[in-house]
Amino acid sequence: MSYFRITLHRSAIGLPQRTRGVLAALGLRKRCQTVFQPVTPDSAGMIMKVKELVIVKEVAQPLTTKELRAERRPEPGFWVERAVPR
Amino acid sequence: MSRSLLRSVLEFRTSLTRLPSPPAFLLPSRSLSTTPTLPQNVAPARSPSQTIPASIPQSTPTTPSRFQKSAPTAPSPTEAAESLAQLFPLLRAQPRHYITAHIHGFPYLVTEGDQIRLPFKMPGVVPGDVLRLDRASVLGSRDYTLKGTPWIDSALFECRATVLGTESEPMRIKIKTKRRNRRSQRVTSKHKYTILRVSELKLLEPTA
Repeated sequence: MSYFRITLHRSAIGLPQRTRGVLAALGLRKRCQTVFQPVTPDSAGMIMKVKELVIVKEVAQPLTTKELRAERRPEPGFWVERAVPR
Repeated sequence: MSRSLLRSVLEFRTSLTRLPSPPAFLLPSRSLSTTPTLPQNVAPARSPSQTIPASIPQSTPTTPSRFQKSAPTAPSPTEAAESLAQLFPLLRAQPRHYITAHIHGFPYLVTEGDQIRLPFKMPGVVPGDVLRLDRASVLGSRDYTLKGTPWIDSALFECRATVLGTESEPMRIKIKTKRRNRRSQRVTSKHKYTILRVSELKLLEPTA
């Protein structure tokens, strides 16, 4: 089953309650948040209601919050070559 | 008296303008760039046609180069490899080098012997540990600069840093209170920062 990877790009401040309700139903609480919804006519319809605010991509598997954060985390850029005996 | 002085100054100035070209250390330095050979960075392959910026109109030679709005594009892999093969030995032969090493994504432009005060306390290290920094975006010397896109191949350099210890900022106190409220709360902060010293920066022999 494939999923929509939905990222809220524009804020819902100043938008009507109906639009805010759609974002709440999708699970989007703040800007730049990413959620995964299964590809169904229901979720597709919700995305069409807020299509100007979100960026959508289709993926095979959803990512967990830990995996999402690991995506954003930069590499450490170093490793301990020689450790002092503790 | 003053007129003869002025004439001699003018003569001196004209004799200066007749000097030969300026010495080598005043000439502009050369730069070279490389594309990394790591598999994960090869993904959207840059075809040679993409390196030619389409926005520069070749039919209007009167347009000065300073009005070009296009960003510089990375060279094609063959061009980059060629430039690297030609110029890296020259970069390596220079006496002093600097590197822009990235620790947790943040760049630090250092050379051998520099001290880095990281904006955080590095967990799990003790004074005396030797760290190997392997993420670099720029490697340069006086006349040559190697700019990675976005990173430099870690097989080209070796950069080691020793952990010297931790230092802390002076204690700062934040008084939290509201207007017309007699209760106030004191919150103290005294953050610790890890200090590193770049003990070694070596450019390795380019292996083909």
